[in-house]
Amino acid sequence: MTRGRDGGRRLEGSAGTLERWAAILGGTALGFAGARRGSWALGALGGGLFLAGAAGVPLSSPLRQAALPAMRREPTTTQANVTIAVPAEKLFRHWRNVRHLAALFPHLDAVEILSDTESRWKAHGPGGVPVVWNSRLDKIRENELITWHTLEGADLPHRGTVLFRPAPGGRGTEVSLTLAYHPPGGVGGNAVSRLFGAAPEQQAREALRRLKRIMEVGELPTIKGQPSGRAERGRVTSKLREVTG
Amino acid sequence: MRALCWNGVNDLRVERVPDPTILGPQDAIIKVSLSSVCGSDLHLIGGYVPTMRAGDIIGHEFLGEVVEKGPEVTRLNRGDRVITVSIIGCGKCWHCQHEEFSLCDNSNPQPAFEEAAYGHCTAGIFGYSHAFGGYAGSHAEYIRVPFADTNCFRVPEGVTDEQAVFVSDAVPTGYMAADMGNIKPGDVVAVWGCGGVGQMAMKSAFLMGAERVIGIDRFPDRLRAAQMKAGAETLDYSRVDIYDALLAMTGGRGPDVCIDAVGMEADSGASAIEDLYDRSKQALRLENDRPAVLRQMIQCCRKGGTLSIVGVYGGLIDKFPMGAAMNKALTFRMGQQHGQRYVKRLFEHIEKGDLDPAYLLTHKWALDDAPRGYRMFKEKADDCMRVVFAP
Repeated sequence: MTRGRDGGRRLEGSAGTLERWAAILGGTALGFAGARRGSWALGALGGGLFLAGAAGVPLSSPLRQAALPAMRREPTTTQANVTIAVPAEKLFRHWRNVRHLAALFPHLDAVEILSDTESRWKAHGPGGVPVVWNSRLDKIRENELITWHTLEGADLPHRGTVLFRPAPGGRGTEVSLTLAYHPPGGVGGNAVSRLFGAAPEQQAREALRRLKRIMEVGELPTIKGQPSGRAERGRVTSKLREVTG
Repeated sequence: MRALCWNGVNDLRVERVPDPTILGPQDAIIKVSLSSVCGSDLHLIGGYVPTMRAGDIIGHEFLGEVVEKGPEVTRLNRGDRVITVSIIGCGKCWHCQHEEFSLCDNSNPQPAFEEAAYGHCTAGIFGYSHAFGGYAGSHAEYIRVPFADTNCFRVPEGVTDEQAVFVSDAVPTGYMAADMGNIKPGDVVAVWGCGGVGQMAMKSAFLMGAERVIGIDRFPDRLRAAQMKAGAETLDYSRVDIYDALLAMTGGRGPDVCIDAVGMEADSGASAIEDLYDRSKQALRLENDRPAVLRQMIQCCRKGGTLSIVGVYGGLIDKFPMGAAMNKALTFRMGQQHGQRYVKRLFEHIEKGDLDPAYLLTHKWALDDAPRGYRMFKEKADDCMRVVFAP
């Protein structure tokens, strides 16, 4: 899966990559130092930095956005790409039934079909803030392309394109998802932009990854709910600290 | 159930944890009967692999009995005696379809770490840090196996538990190391590291037509086993200069195939300065891995020869002799094992008597003794090759 581009912050592109790497490497170093010294605070800070870097969470851009309010109104474009080992027809059919998309974006609560081209979307933002918009399909090319845009009054104005292209050598289908957002203003707008605007690149990638996993293996692999020593602390049967000197 | 949990650097504890449950329709629950230590676990225990979390259950080489299965598991039945390949494949993605199971696109539920660090994410591995999926490991009474039809294999009647357990990891890793060497009849193969994987690489090299195999280590019991059990000639790197010795043994050509079965915590024995340089950089986290064996292999390998790397590396290495590698036209092959590709063939070799991995098992202990078992394995005390825990 290739990384998305963040068109609205194009000037910051290389700085963003650098920031991400700095977070990963610095986080790793701190995490190790913390683990070595048995300092959980240091370890956690390092782990947090590593995770933030790994997940592409922008650490400094909220500061930049506060300093540069004018930039917040520019559209943010992001693209993600993935190859899925199934034919384009199957992917197109799946995506064309927009009800299926709720499984790709975890913040979506429901997708209601209003007509052949219009649908109503309900999502939840941080703290359960309800986010609602109506969406219209505007261009459809069988087994190749679907584009849509939100209608007037949407809490989260955006337009999107998904493209299906046969991959070479029988590798399946190359899927590109492009999303262009207009970060909203007004009451609650900040929360909404934090949800959708802060890491749209990651959201697009995650959505395509979920699509791939659902289509290829029929389930989303998980470790949620598996046992660990974190669940019931302190019931040690056998212990040896400094096992290996 | 009881399980061996990693709680911090060199802090292992056997604890009471909840039993695993079926989380996906293709899962199976295995009641573990044998679970072996592995050299790569030492990197986790020592804190050299980032993304471990306190409370993680470790262990990835195991044998057991199917006790529960999800609705979509079709090839297994309750009561089957199975081994599970330590590296998890989904069975459906392009890589799995092409038998590159350790490169599986779908089995790692936490891909962000690896995508950021490596550019792409690879397969999930049992008990092997959150970068490799964060799956709970096998040093426990029960373990959950995702995509069980792809990853579990019924053990043939004629193969004992003690032979079968190593078909999870050590045997296919060694076999793949030899396979990647593209060994031709008459080849001389040198194997760095005479632990479980190294021993299996030596046996496999002979099965593939190698004329001579040379095992390199410094522990006398391992060198002895390489000689007596795997039929290799041996070199003790703490006593001889490996470059001089290998060239003397090969008419000045160098080995045709060099196998790294050591990985990131290597000693070279060749130069105290080199060791000091790498150890201090690793301690300061200025490099992740110590590439002593890699450097030595590049120097020793014959021109146009092949380097096959199955020793585990995590991140970045320093002072990599690219000039030597390029000008000598060396071929590099490497990777985590694609065990599912080899299991059937390996059981056939074991049944025919070509290969008997059971000798790797030098100690069989109760799970409650696991922390002590790991100490023994790490210190290589009491001629310990592998400790296997029977919960």
